[in-house]
Amino acid sequence: MNKFFDLRFVIGIFFLAVGMLLLIYSFTNPTIEHAAVNRWCGLAFILFALIMIALSFQKKPKDEL
Amino acid sequence: MHLHLVDYAIIGIYFLFVVGIGFLLKKRIKTGNDFLMSSRNIPLWITSLAFISANLGAQEVLGMAANGAKYGLYTAHFYWMGAVLAMVFLGVFMMPFYYGSKARSVPEFLKLRFDEKTRTYNALTFAVMTIFSSGISLYALAMLMQTILGWDFNVSIWLAAGIVLIYTFLGGLTSAVYNEVLQFFLIVLGIAPLVYIGFHQVGGLDGILANVDNAKLHLWKGMSNSATNPMGTNAFSLIFGLGFVLAFGYWCTDFLVVQRAMISHNLNDARRTPIIAALPKIFMPLIVIVPGILLLALQKQFSGFELPLNTNGQTDYNMVLPLLLSKLYPSGILGVGITALIASFMSGMAGNVTAFNTVFTFDLYQTHIRKNASEKHYLNVGKATTVIGILLSILTAYVARGFNSIMDLLQLVFSFVNAPLFATFFLGMFWKKTSSNGAFWGLLSGTVAAGLTYSLTVAEGKGGSIAQLHTFYSGTSQAFNIAWISFVVCFIVTALISFVTKPKPEKELVGLVYSLTPRQRDKNRVWYKNPLWLAIIVLLITLFFNILFY
Repeated sequence: MNKFFDLRFVIGIFFLAVGMLLLIYSFTNPTIEHAAVNRWCGLAFILFALIMIALSFQKKPKDEL
Repeated sequence: MHLHLVDYAIIGIYFLFVVGIGFLLKKRIKTGNDFLMSSRNIPLWITSLAFISANLGAQEVLGMAANGAKYGLYTAHFYWMGAVLAMVFLGVFMMPFYYGSKARSVPEFLKLRFDEKTRTYNALTFAVMTIFSSGISLYALAMLMQTILGWDFNVSIWLAAGIVLIYTFLGGLTSAVYNEVLQFFLIVLGIAPLVYIGFHQVGGLDGILANVDNAKLHLWKGMSNSATNPMGTNAFSLIFGLGFVLAFGYWCTDFLVVQRAMISHNLNDARRTPIIAALPKIFMPLIVIVPGILLLALQKQFSGFELPLNTNGQTDYNMVLPLLLSKLYPSGILGVGITALIASFMSGMAGNVTAFNTVFTFDLYQTHIRKNASEKHYLNVGKATTVIGILLSILTAYVARGFNSIMDLLQLVFSFVNAPLFATFFLGMFWKKTSSNGAFWGLLSGTVAAGLTYSLTVAEGKGGSIAQLHTFYSGTSQAFNIAWISFVVCFIVTALISFVTKPKPEKELVGLVYSLTPRQRDKNRVWYKNPLWLAIIVLLITLFFNILFY
């Protein structure tokens, strides 16, 4: 539960959910115009989400930046 | 524009997260200081992104895309000339005074430097401004939802206001700041694909160069005369009006943005907050201005990209972004784009409400109504003020619905209040003889001068209520001129009165005036922890872009 106080984790979970939704939608509706946009955006969002989640599991740095 | 289930699902996920953040943070809010100042305990990366996000409201996102189509690349001046320099100045020179003085708000700093009446004047004008601004955000959101999605105006207003109320009431400033950061990523990642798709569709850079008027693809060309550039302003008005007075007046004195730096862990973080925020700010035109330019190229090559007319029969440039979203995005990513717009509206509103409740609680209630109450009492006052702020915003939104010109009025109020305020700060921080009476009457005179300039000049049919002594080429040019005139009047009146009135004793001004404050050197710090080095890097990048797009 403590992880949810880390904004990086919250942002990661949000974009993971949205990215998955876009990815699933692109595969279930391949005939709509520009369907590939959803696929690539979904993948990009998931990648971004994983980076944010990974950052949230880092040990807290002594001094930020 | 027709949304599908997947689009509504994305909007729903966003609503769930913003409300969830409020509920999570509720456990950590124990005192008025937690609620209104986040206990000065927010990490640097969050304060930096919140600093620019607080300004990245809907008027900014929709307005800059509109200006991109109207003025072309010249709009980037609002970023590189009208923001970056002032943000660097705030971090390098002004933040040590704000943070070091332990003031909880900009009006409280004015009390420490000058006196109670200057503080109260600033607190009152700021409180009115924030409520107006918050209400306009709400009104604009409801109008946009009505126009592009067919949602009911009343439902949009009450739904958005209800969600903002929940998360600001529960989590206070921290909740607003966290949501601003989420909103930042949502806007960037939600609109960046639009730029990519549009760029691809127009045929890349060659397509833009071939289809967009060359006069709209420069920054400084034709700036010697207001008639020879699309913005309708000259270099003097631009540099002095926008680059100096308006930019410094907004970024260095508006509590809405300054508050984001004031809640940092320590002074070094507070100083680096606006400077680090300036880095993404430099690249923001890619997301918010380029879509407007892309639309110009698309209009030349394809049909169906014509902008609708507004109620006055003029081209409605505010529809640039909604039009591009509906034409270039399929359902799915369209939901992300619409959510980004909703997020920017709600975040703009939440930012204003949290600044309003801080200023009301500390600078009006605690000062004039109840001085020595408990922390719990001020927490309750802060929460009650949040509810009142939201209700007043809703009222303002309904008032705005009845007046077409209220948005112009809001812009004007900003130039009336912020431009002279920077003169007061500038003199107060760098001239120890600036007196309290000088500051107060200077501020009032600057505001009156701004009102008179507006009432005696006209631009695009606006202003000139007393007489029409001069006609400006554009409303933008009029705003820049009002800004520098009110600044100069405030500066002169403050200086003249300060010469004949008694300033505060020097011992009371240590930490508040530059010449009386011991310098703090950032010894043994690596370059990225040194505000000065970061500032130099930011300025060099800005200079490079100005030369590149000359």
